[in-house]
Amino acid sequence: MQIFLILLGILTLIAILMYNSLIGKKNQVDNIFAGVDAVLKKRFDLIPNLVASVSQYMEHEKSTLEKVTEYRAQAMKPGISDEAKIALDAKLTSALGAINIAMEAYPDLKANENVMHLQRSLSEIEEQISAARRAYNQAVTDLNNAIEMFPTNLIAGWMNLQRRAVFEITVTERQNVDVGALFNQ
Amino acid sequence: MKSVSELTDFYYKELYPSLNELEINRKQIVSHLKWYGSMGVVVFIIVALWMGKNFGLLHPLMIGVAIGFMAIASIAYRSMTGGYAKDFKAKIITPLIGAIDPHLLYNPDFMVSQHLFERSDLFKHSIDRYSGNDYVKGTIDGVPLEFSDVLAEYQTRDSKGRTQWHTLFRGLFLVAEFNKHFKSKTLILPDLAEKTFGNLIGGWLQSMNISRGKVIQLDDPLFEKHFVVYGNDPIEARYILTHSMMKRIVEFQKKVSHPLFISFVHNHIHVGIGTGKDLFEPAVFTSLLDYKQAMEYVNTLQNTIGLVEELKLNEKLWSKE
Repeated sequence: MQIFLILLGILTLIAILMYNSLIGKKNQVDNIFAGVDAVLKKRFDLIPNLVASVSQYMEHEKSTLEKVTEYRAQAMKPGISDEAKIALDAKLTSALGAINIAMEAYPDLKANENVMHLQRSLSEIEEQISAARRAYNQAVTDLNNAIEMFPTNLIAGWMNLQRRAVFEITVTERQNVDVGALFNQ
Repeated sequence: MKSVSELTDFYYKELYPSLNELEINRKQIVSHLKWYGSMGVVVFIIVALWMGKNFGLLHPLMIGVAIGFMAIASIAYRSMTGGYAKDFKAKIITPLIGAIDPHLLYNPDFMVSQHLFERSDLFKHSIDRYSGNDYVKGTIDGVPLEFSDVLAEYQTRDSKGRTQWHTLFRGLFLVAEFNKHFKSKTLILPDLAEKTFGNLIGGWLQSMNISRGKVIQLDDPLFEKHFVVYGNDPIEARYILTHSMMKRIVEFQKKVSHPLFISFVHNHIHVGIGTGKDLFEPAVFTSLLDYKQAMEYVNTLQNTIGLVEELKLNEKLWSKE
């Protein structure tokens, strides 16, 4: 009987420890997502400025600029899920990249001090976003591992914890730059 | 910034007259040392034999006499080589640093302040004795930096009340301005636990080190193999340690082959290279013209000052310009 009680005590203790570590991991993910959110918001705040200052020059890229504005509007909506935000961020990154490349064709734009300032701010924020994404991905990986690995998966199932999505590099970012194609343009 | 081969050229060409002069001096000192050394040994043997006859060889007094002889020998050695070391620093190290960059200041008797050493937070133990020498300060590519030899020690008492000194850190300590703004603290320490105990147990041991803060797992396996990172802000730690920065630190570690301690505190990078010895001290028994010896001086300086370029500390964020 005594042995049974001791065993039960140990098992309860282990279960509590596992429960707490899972909660800790989940909160770490949320906590870091708040950091990601903060830098993403910094970028969103710059977008209206960027669009306003470049739209008069960039006639041919109107659709891209509209897209960027739209992504921003979607991301700023209240009650948007983390996954949706992550997806929007990926889209926004590639659209901004396209604007960046397109700007090369407008010498007037490159001479514009205001635009240059925005560009540099954006690239600085880009670095912060990249750091935040990496931190988030690590925290999510930790959580996902705990959710799937034995024995924490048993408790995670009971707690109804779900796997989270990681930030993925967009396809355009992953592709190597084809220098030859750039020259042939 | 001059390359190693340019500096080696400078060492052998421009410094040749001074080297020759010092070399003559060195040979004289060596012959003096040999002469006095053998005299000392003879005297010691005579005293020992006489004492052995009167008191027995294992008498406590014998130990006293042996310690006395050693103390006299070390004092004599220091007084004979001290002037040589001073000349060496004035005539060789000073121009060598000037050749790397004429704006660098060099002071053989000064050191990086204890305040900066403690601010780095790399070493947890309180420091009871702090010393150092060979202080260099200046700006490389617009990056303010300073470094010196540092010896930090702490004291313990055993059960019998005897004090013992332990070395906390001995080696080169460098402080430079970092090219990004940050508010948190990030420490990079040699990964001893994972090397000795493997991935699983070592990782667990690291996470138990509460005094250091949280372990930050980074996404560069090679970097993770060499180092363990502690910090209080996982996002900022990754903002500092970008993929390219981690790669550069691993490259630097390969180059120096001594334990590397790096911390990012207060918008500065602090680097401790645990060489375990006093650098820039001339070896009396090795010729100054010896290629290996010369390369050591040149390489140490080049590696340390080259850290700015190596870690690209000069590529400033535009908002920090």
